[in-house]
Amino acid sequence: MTRSIPAPRRPGPPDLGAYVRAAAEAGELVVQPRMGMARPEEMAAGVTAVARLPERTVATVTLDSYTRVGDHAAATAAVRAGRPLNGFPLVAHGPRVGARVAGAAGPATPVQVRHGSADPIAIFRTMTAAGLYTSEGGPVSYCLPYGRTPLAESVAAWRDGTRLLAEESRAAGTGAHLESFGGCLLGQLCPPSLLVAVSVLECLFFVQNGITSVSLSYAQQTHAGQDAEALTALRRLADELLPPDVDRHLVLYTYMGVFPRTAPGARLLLARSAELAVRGGAERLIVKTETEAHRIPTVEENLTALRNAAEQARRTRLEPAGPPVDGGEVLAEARALVTAVLSLSDNVGTALLRAFRRGLLDVPYCLHPDNRGAARGVIAEDGRLRWADLGAMPLLSAGRRTTPVTSDRLSLMLRRVAEQHDAAARQAAPEGRHEPGAQPEPGARPEPAAGAGNGTGSEQRPAPLRVALIGVGPRGLSVLERLAARCLEQPLARPVEIHAIDPYQAGAGRIWRQSQSPHFLMNTPAREVTMFSGPGDDGPARPGAGPTLAEWWAAADPENADPDGYAPRVVYGRYLSHVFDRIVAALPVGLTVQRVPARVLSADRIPDEDGGTRAHRLRLDRGDVLTVDRVVLATGHPSNDLDGPQRDRAAFAAGSATVRYINGDSAGEMPLKDIPPGASVGILGMGLTFYDILVELTQGRGGRFAPDGPDGLRYLPSGREPRIFPASRSGVPLLARGVNQKPPLHRYRARLFTPERMGAVRARGGVDFHAAVLPWLMAEVNLVLLATRIRTAAGDAVIGEAAVGAAAAADFTERATAALADADTPLLEPLSRLAAEYGVDPTVLADFDTLARPFRGKRFCTAAEFRTALTDWLRADLADARLGNADGPLKAACDVLRDVRQTIRSVVDFGGLTPESQRRFLTEFNPLAALISTGPPAVRSEQFLALLDAGILEPVGPQAVFRSDGTAGRFTVESLQVDSSRVGLDALVDARVPGTDLRTDRNPLIRGLLADGTIRTFVNSWEGHAYDTGGLASTDSPFHPIRADGAVERSMHVIGILSEHTRWFTQVGSGRPGSWGSFTRDADAIAGALLDGAMLEPTPLAAKAGTR
Amino acid sequence: MAQSAAPQLLRPVPQAAPADGRRVLLTTGSSDAHTWNLVHLQLFLEEHGHSVLNLGPCVPEELLVDTARLTMPDLVVFSSVNGHGHLDGLRAVRALRAEADTRGIPMVAGGLLGISPEGAEQRRAELLEAGFDGVHPDGTGPEVLLERLAELIPLAALDPAGPARTERVAA
Repeated sequence: MTRSIPAPRRPGPPDLGAYVRAAAEAGELVVQPRMGMARPEEMAAGVTAVARLPERTVATVTLDSYTRVGDHAAATAAVRAGRPLNGFPLVAHGPRVGARVAGAAGPATPVQVRHGSADPIAIFRTMTAAGLYTSEGGPVSYCLPYGRTPLAESVAAWRDGTRLLAEESRAAGTGAHLESFGGCLLGQLCPPSLLVAVSVLECLFFVQNGITSVSLSYAQQTHAGQDAEALTALRRLADELLPPDVDRHLVLYTYMGVFPRTAPGARLLLARSAELAVRGGAERLIVKTETEAHRIPTVEENLTALRNAAEQARRTRLEPAGPPVDGGEVLAEARALVTAVLSLSDNVGTALLRAFRRGLLDVPYCLHPDNRGAARGVIAEDGRLRWADLGAMPLLSAGRRTTPVTSDRLSLMLRRVAEQHDAAARQAAPEGRHEPGAQPEPGARPEPAAGAGNGTGSEQRPAPLRVALIGVGPRGLSVLERLAARCLEQPLARPVEIHAIDPYQAGAGRIWRQSQSPHFLMNTPAREVTMFSGPGDDGPARPGAGPTLAEWWAAADPENADPDGYAPRVVYGRYLSHVFDRIVAALPVGLTVQRVPARVLSADRIPDEDGGTRAHRLRLDRGDVLTVDRVVLATGHPSNDLDGPQRDRAAFAAGSATVRYINGDSAGEMPLKDIPPGASVGILGMGLTFYDILVELTQGRGGRFAPDGPDGLRYLPSGREPRIFPASRSGVPLLARGVNQKPPLHRYRARLFTPERMGAVRARGGVDFHAAVLPWLMAEVNLVLLATRIRTAAGDAVIGEAAVGAAAAADFTERATAALADADTPLLEPLSRLAAEYGVDPTVLADFDTLARPFRGKRFCTAAEFRTALTDWLRADLADARLGNADGPLKAACDVLRDVRQTIRSVVDFGGLTPESQRRFLTEFNPLAALISTGPPAVRSEQFLALLDAGILEPVGPQAVFRSDGTAGRFTVESLQVDSSRVGLDALVDARVPGTDLRTDRNPLIRGLLADGTIRTFVNSWEGHAYDTGGLASTDSPFHPIRADGAVERSMHVIGILSEHTRWFTQVGSGRPGSWGSFTRDADAIAGALLDGAMLEPTPLAAKAGTR
Repeated sequence: MAQSAAPQLLRPVPQAAPADGRRVLLTTGSSDAHTWNLVHLQLFLEEHGHSVLNLGPCVPEELLVDTARLTMPDLVVFSSVNGHGHLDGLRAVRALRAEADTRGIPMVAGGLLGISPEGAEQRRAELLEAGFDGVHPDGTGPEVLLERLAELIPLAALDPAGPARTERVAA
């Protein structure tokens, strides 16, 4: 982008945003005309006249149609030939003349350039050269309604133009202001929700491209009440979505459609708009004149309109204010539209393009080739604008389809406001007040009631129970499996229809889909994974009986399967799809499963045909609507809005041609291929996603691990690897999982950290985890640590029939358990003392920090020194892992955390802890537990060491800090504990898995449900303290969401990661063979609740659970 | 500025117009962004049995001529309300008349063709001189188009060897 001519000497007009803010604080409505003349002297005179009014005005320079469409030659020719133009040809006149015209406003009045161009670059360039930085429009609002420029070109031109305006204004030491024209679109017959949505989206687009002061527009429509709702909605959404430091105000346009033909009618409509501006909280009003219907108004007519509007605003302000206006249906619809669009891309411009391509946004009656043109707006009998046809827009609120829009009806609707106001003004007594929108039309009758004969009463068969499974990954699949298994055992009294909704492969879902790198591994051994709720038998695999992952893998791919190891994730994805297929193949009579490959965009409730139960209507992204009786939310891993630092990093990378920032919730979705060989790439976070990224950047690029390295493996590079700089708080990767020595059906029985003891702790209420739970957990961990040392110290010695070690360990365990049984708080010292009697190392593990944060408080002089220390630590951990999870004392002790997960849940789930304790639990204990107990197989640590050895992996150190270095144009990272560890990065990958937080969840369905109060976040409150966890609040089994008003939403269930924080450790993607764990029990409880009432006999739920 | 080649349809044109139905190409000035007039005219003409190809707003002359050559409509209706209809209309009709293929297609104009009522008669004369077959002042109802369409016989009904221009039938 070339730089334009230097700004002129004189200071430009004042900043529009600040001016409007000051007026609002003074209680004054800012008024503004539309005004554009071809000749500079005339234009300047108009600007001066507006500025000189005693009202708070903004002067306008409206450009002509030739300049708008970029035909500057035609504009110049017209100027030369003295032909009249319908506005000021700014580009043809050039910046010097432009500055002179704007300068006619004087130093105190802002000047806005209005143009209507889909490609504003030339206009903005001339403006900035003239020292003008205030304009309006937008990539959608100045493209779709007004021309045929492809939307993609308009978005690109507006992106560049907006950036130009922002940059030039900054260079000139001032600010730019842009107004979105999105609240106007075609001027009439567009329902307000779409106007509000486009206005908000365009302002987000401006902000994303560097603008810090915006105004959001809305054009007065047909109904005063609906218009006030729209202004409220606009304000609400702007405050929710625009960054807090962005200056914003609302601008109302006096009705833009066909205008009243009589002067009194036009005055009345203008007065109504000024009232609306005041009552609806708009700070600026763009007026129309009395002669609007007949011709382009004169300056004097404009001045009259400005005075009248300002006077009406003052009068309205003196009247008692009505109750605050609710955003109502407009807000709900606008929010649904905005969230649906924003979920399409982080880049608002891209999101807008996709939205129009898919018809998620569709401007009624708009003829532009990039507009779908399927939507229709109409004026309903109550005067409100409504949707007559939604096209593919993700809304549910459309009324019944009305009669088709004919030319006569269109013409009536287009003229309605004009005629109403002409008539009202004719009849009005001087002080008469009207609610134009609320007037029923003469002869209007209410819609006839739905035909009485349409009921379903005559049908004999009972109506099916319709169930939507939203999300069919492992959790959704587990519910389906239990539903089908229950139906096989007991006949159905009424048919049950399951809609299995997932845009990805049913069963696998997004996380386990088959289109991902074959190098990604699961972190649960294949033998410990099953999706069938019972073991396979001689019969075919079916609901309730089927093979584990290991069994299926060995049979399905005998050559490559490693049933004793860890399966690649694609293999598990295939298994999950197989399970889904087996379930569908073996469905019992009365149960049907419909695959729905789609996303749910929004949900609401409607009265069912029989007027009784209220069904859920789900709007799908493919455009249709699904009506169901029950909903199971199993949407799994969330995608969240970027947080502050993430946004900054994304913006930094977006402003650079070379630096990349990659953020995603799983490695499979990250564009890692874009990272060039040899580039320095920083990785933030060293958890499981880090390992996925690591393997994709090495093995995935042709490198190989050969089995002859110093630590087990040697890396043979392909030469296409980047240099990898991983960093995290602890500076170390996850601890390796001990080699599995436990049979799949093994279950550990805790001695000290028992369900009974923790049940008693919970019963006392207000539990402090670190005071009342963690000490018992540490005692259990040390009990296993010491007992394993004792058992293994004796080697394989046998006396008589008994193994010496096992006997000694059992003896120790008995005595230690007895010694601590009656303690209030168990101390580790007695355990240590007892262990010493058996002649083993009596050192205990005082806390998990020692394991997970080995370098806390240590300093390193060089990066090499740190890496040596890290290598030693990794080798030691690897050695522990190789001893196994039964015979290795440390890994056996760490395994306790996995074994007692359910007991921990029983204390912490559903508000067991005090708010402060839950916060600590989630921020301190939870990450430690993850580091220690969720690690990858030991082979990953061997690969880590091999890559260290090969010089490809260069860990940064603990307490790493990432920065965006504007001077060098790169990211940097350094460890606060390693001197001179700072390195420049060409790419930064955020490898942290987003946590559950409904408030930032980008799923439009979740956002919508949260906004309308169907679900809410779990706020842990206790004795005046509260902690909002961000997880979905639900009841205990069968897990109904709790509504915002506190009521239980009995027609819905929630399972899995959505309810994380309300419950603990929900990110479990598989069941275990043997007796049911919570994964299967939760699914079964939901299946049972869904089938309640659909079964011939009451479901014997209690008798079944946990007895397999 | 790239132009979209595909003309936008408000709704699919019927496969075959009714027996006396005509094919209308609806257009506006290259600088005119207004569309309500176009939407309304389309609905109106369709309701009266004619099929309409609606080019939407801001129609460049090349798009008008290309589409006219491709579809050979019975009538081109130029509707403009932004005050530039006079200037844009002159360019549009000259472009249509400059091409041998499209020279004979009847074309009428209507709407708000200037930015003020002054000089309306002179504008009308200029537009007729440049090749419009009719110029209707602001406020004329769309029924006038029905009359004009009724006077036309479709191209297809003419002798293929005959002149390209649709002939008027004597009333």
